[in-house]
Amino acid sequence: MRLAFWLYEGTALHGISRVTNSMKGVHTVYHAPQGDDYITATYSMLERTPDFPGLSISVVRGRDLAQGVSRLPGTLQQVDHHYHPDLTVIAPSCSTALLQEDLHQLAAHSGLPPEKIFVYALNPFRVSENEAADGLFTELVKRYAASQEKTAVPSVNLLGFTSLGFHLRANLTSLRRMLQTLGITVNVVAPWGAGIEDLKKLPAAWLNIAPYREIGLTAAEYLADTFAMPAIYEAPIGVEPTLAWLRSVIENLNRTGAERGVPPITLPKLSAFSLDGLSAPSGVPWFARTADMESFSNKRAFVFGDATHTVAIVKFLRDELGMKIIGAGTYMERHADWVRKELEGYLPGALVVTDRFQDVAKIIDDEMPDLVCGTQMERHSCRKLDVPCMVICPPTHIENHLLGYYPFFGFDGSDVIADRVYLSCKLGLEKHLIDFFGDAGLEYEENGDAASPEIELSTGNGHIAPAVEVEKESIAVAEDGEMKWTDDAETMLKKVPFFVRKKVRKNTETFARSIGESSVTVEVFRKAKESLGG
Amino acid sequence: MMQVSGDVQIIKEDNVTHSFCGLACVGWMYQKIKDSFFLILGTHTCAHFLQNALGMMIFAKPRFGIALMEEGDLSKNEPTLEEIIREIKADHNPSVIFLLSSCTPEVMKVDFKGLAHHLSTPDVPVLFVPASGLVYNFTQAEDSVLHALVPFCPEAPAGRKSVVFLGSVNDATADDLRAEAEGLGIHVAGFLPESRFDKMPAIGPDTVLAPIQPYLSRVAVKLERERGARVLHSLFPFGPDGSRVFWEDLAREFGITIDLSDREKAAWEKIRSQTELLKGKKVFLTADTMMELPLARFLKSAGADVVECSSAYINKKFHARELEALAGVRVVEQPNFHRQLEDVKRIQPDLIVTSLMTANPFAGHGFVVKWSMEFMLMPIHSWSGVIPLANLFVSPLHRRSNLPEFDKEVWLEGVMPSAE
Repeated sequence: MRLAFWLYEGTALHGISRVTNSMKGVHTVYHAPQGDDYITATYSMLERTPDFPGLSISVVRGRDLAQGVSRLPGTLQQVDHHYHPDLTVIAPSCSTALLQEDLHQLAAHSGLPPEKIFVYALNPFRVSENEAADGLFTELVKRYAASQEKTAVPSVNLLGFTSLGFHLRANLTSLRRMLQTLGITVNVVAPWGAGIEDLKKLPAAWLNIAPYREIGLTAAEYLADTFAMPAIYEAPIGVEPTLAWLRSVIENLNRTGAERGVPPITLPKLSAFSLDGLSAPSGVPWFARTADMESFSNKRAFVFGDATHTVAIVKFLRDELGMKIIGAGTYMERHADWVRKELEGYLPGALVVTDRFQDVAKIIDDEMPDLVCGTQMERHSCRKLDVPCMVICPPTHIENHLLGYYPFFGFDGSDVIADRVYLSCKLGLEKHLIDFFGDAGLEYEENGDAASPEIELSTGNGHIAPAVEVEKESIAVAEDGEMKWTDDAETMLKKVPFFVRKKVRKNTETFARSIGESSVTVEVFRKAKESLGG
Repeated sequence: MMQVSGDVQIIKEDNVTHSFCGLACVGWMYQKIKDSFFLILGTHTCAHFLQNALGMMIFAKPRFGIALMEEGDLSKNEPTLEEIIREIKADHNPSVIFLLSSCTPEVMKVDFKGLAHHLSTPDVPVLFVPASGLVYNFTQAEDSVLHALVPFCPEAPAGRKSVVFLGSVNDATADDLRAEAEGLGIHVAGFLPESRFDKMPAIGPDTVLAPIQPYLSRVAVKLERERGARVLHSLFPFGPDGSRVFWEDLAREFGITIDLSDREKAAWEKIRSQTELLKGKKVFLTADTMMELPLARFLKSAGADVVECSSAYINKKFHARELEALAGVRVVEQPNFHRQLEDVKRIQPDLIVTSLMTANPFAGHGFVVKWSMEFMLMPIHSWSGVIPLANLFVSPLHRRSNLPEFDKEVWLEGVMPSAE
């Protein structure tokens, strides 16, 4: 037992509903107490679904348990009557899983034909969101994928694209644009927008593309084993990875093409991939060589997220933008070994593997990086510390569900990521000016806007988010014991640029303690500056 | 079907609906009682609910948390929370810790009362708050919180008659209600809850309890039984009609006869443009926050045609006056959402008041919607709340009429591939 406030991964039920909410004609029935369908709000509000997500709750009440009544058969009949799904997935919640009921038998009592029902009874205490989503998707692929003729023209399946996926639509658009440029047909996208009939025809494609480590990979592996379908598992994030990905797609398809006597695909002039068809497909390679970006060379970045994005972003920042990586981590313990292997040689220390956001916040607080790439929780932690942060993966916030085209995949995605890095970080030349001349005339109050608590508005993430005002945060300074600053030293500290002031205060106090001082005087401050290098 | 009085009939269905469990009350209760900590003994699901559906972010020192039951904890007889309680006390120094139950430990039959008792110290009581979705909906767990606070309300000796308002409202609303009562010559003993644990109001035989939220029937009955307090049975103070009846009835409890009909008339006058728009409009309330009965009654008084008023729980005695006022309106308890969908399609209401989960999908089907939860977060009580209350209903209607034509075939294409 531990005290938890916030978790990176959602529940197994959430994972299941992400898959079924993605699919046509598939409904989930939660066998669960009142309120466990709160997940519906994440779709209807974050994805702003204009129709009812295919999720219903079959309410289990305390009284039903006492009387041995189950509403499940009745709910299944109602769902069938009202929504006519091709398939209903039945899932228990954490509390009903403990009841050890025979859900198969209960489901059978509904009188619905067995082919329209799928009981997916995971252990919710052992399995989390991504594993459940990946697992259910694989089960559905196993259930429906049927051996058949390949398509006449080169075709691919795009697997693992799932409701609430990170920048899902834009990533799909980016991939579709590149595939169109190569003249490659998309056979099926799944689970996003796929129906049972689409799952059946998965084996007709020449190649599977499963870029997400978390969801879709297991299904692609199954299709490789069972139907001898080749697969590409790399995520095309960054310019070089995108080029490698394109070559790999072409090579794989041409291999099948050669067997089938279809003329080979060739990589066109790269400008063909640009939005206007006339220009460089990405601005990143040139941008990285500009003097502007050269001033980013010493910027220290920390990356924390799921497996796919942590790996891709570390590589992008170091390999393509030439930034320094001071550390990285993931909350996906299940994939930590893969992340470690992928990032061999990239990290100065060990990969951080934790599902406690406090651990990550502590690292950020200690290191005060110039850029943090993380989840919405790191965005939040960083706002408190006034550290630049960009969100690179789930869990997301309404701010990551925007209307515009902001892919992370492909050439277009490289530009988006580079822009975000650029906008998030404090600029190079401007920083030098401020470092050198003080606050550049900007009157920033310490603990002013930038450090004030974030008030999540009521349309945020689902949201009740309290209209009542949010309590003021305690300032990091006060927590670290009682290190006093003399007035003169305070005045001197005010001359330090506002955005590094907190860091300087902290370092100075640490230094003061290390030399046995109990307060910071001008003299101690000067000593600290000398020994810490300004 | 149960008979209440007159021609009010409550249709009872099977509760296959979309709403939250009682843990939702943490969202406002922890902010209301400022020296409290809300500890939920629960699972990953409870944590995910709080952080997602409630959109709660973690501030520097959140005064709520989940004692997370993991697989290994399931085999233990009784949960050991000492370590966690120590951590909470060290970090937050609360005056009171509310221990909320959730579904999993309830299925495991954890002895919450014993647990809370065992963890309590004279300095920091730990109070059990039943809140699980096995029994409680959404706002109902506020009733449980107040229930747990009763022993900490001092006994008021018989003597001076005074009112205690029942229900959590923000401080500005509380000040308004207090001033209004005092203006009428009514002595105010306080609010249950007050915003500090050590400031809970004294309650005794000469206390009149005036419920200002419609989901607090259990604590009202408890105080009536244990302290001999009188519970005001009136309308809830929403809208010109509700405010007049509420204050007149409350004054009567104190032997004061007042006629607020001019004030009511003036209040209706202030919202004339809004009620003109609402007149004859078909409004459907799908059941969510349990504020539906008084909201529907205001709409009816304002001239709207309430085509269905559903609520998760209806108490025939506690809600008697609202039910009487709703005579002729279709009132449903624990509605079935599938049935509601069919009725909505048939009736084509002009406005649907519904949950966070269902609002956008209704909008996608062409309906004008209002989040039911907004009514909990806006100052809609009493006279000063009349305009905000009316505006909440009117704003989505105005907004829709100001937007250009919408061809859903065009503008919804690709938004939700699973629904195409």
